Amino acid sequence: MKKSILTFVVVSLLAINGFSQNDKLVTKTGHISFFSHTVAEDITANNYAVTSTLNPSTGEAVFSVPLQSFEFEKALMQKHYNSDKFLDTKQFPKAKFKGTISNITDIDFSKDGTYDASINGELTMHGVTNPVIESGSIRVAGDKIMLDSKIDITLADYQIAFDKGKPSTNIAKTVVATIKAEYTK
Amino acid sequence: MNFKSMKEQNKMNNNFIRWIVVLLVSGLIIAGGATFYIFNLPHRDIQSIEADYNMLSSQLVNEYLSNARISNEKYLQEEGDSKIIAVTGIVASIDKDMKDQKVVLLKGLDEKAGVRCSFMASTNVHTDNLQPGDRVTIKGVIRSGAGYDDDLELYEDVIMEKCDVIFN
Repeated sequence: MKKSILTFVVVSLLAINGFSQNDKLVTKTGHISFFSHTVAEDITANNYAVTSTLNPSTGEAVFSVPLQSFEFEKALMQKHYNSDKFLDTKQFPKAKFKGTISNITDIDFSKDGTYDASINGELTMHGVTNPVIESGSIRVAGDKIMLDSKIDITLADYQIAFDKGKPSTNIAKTVVATIKAEYTK
Repeated sequence: MNFKSMKEQNKMNNNFIRWIVVLLVSGLIIAGGATFYIFNLPHRDIQSIEADYNMLSSQLVNEYLSNARISNEKYLQEEGDSKIIAVTGIVASIDKDMKDQKVVLLKGLDEKAGVRCSFMASTNVHTDNLQPGDRVTIKGVIRSGAGYDDDLELYEDVIMEKCDVIFN
């Protein structure tokens, strides 16, 4: 009898633990903006249709970015950005970041507050994968969890290069991507 | 050459130069105007353009689930001016993104993935009367397809933007 109670307790603990392990936070309305600064001009593009998951127990974070959702102020810039000379979004419709918050144990998802987060992982874009190490923050407020981060993307690392013409003078060699995701517990 | 003919020659040269200058200046104005026009070309007004396809949300999703590569070939355009689709389906949820745009998910109960339709500031109000379970036709531009993602461990929906309700 005692043994069966013990087994029951162990099994249910395992089940609870297993459940929370798989209990990923999900958002399908993440926001990423690009900013490029040159002497010639500043260019911004916004995307509000980013899917992301965050696993509070393991720190695993994934971002899937539909590249054609980036909206530029000028239609011509948007065309250039999508074209096969730049991101070739027909060929590579999505970018993906897959990484881990290395100090996940410092973040208490049950207690309101803002926590620093160190993130490292890999970004795949334009068919090229590169390592990414950045810092960001996680803010816990009630049942909402907000992730904020900024990463520098050097375009040449992803085989996006312009040697001549207007793009080479008007687009920065390194652009800044600002990432915001809001998950609900 | 006498003095008079030299003067005439000068006059002819001056006329010639004047014409060249006029031509150059007008050429520059035209070229500048054209560049300015192209540079400031407005975005496509998705709602004023007729849909390339009319289909059920399940049809679009299933095309992507059965072959994403062929579907991308069919629906996505190189410069981002991808196909405009009028999708009919059942409203599963109504959400809001960080730009305060309404996002309507068309997805049947037993379907793995759906079609997520982001509205605009000008069309958000047309979602006010929608409720989960309603059958609706929404037109927008496709941005990306549906599929299972191993890293997210979930099905991603088809993403459409610049949406409006065209039949309710």
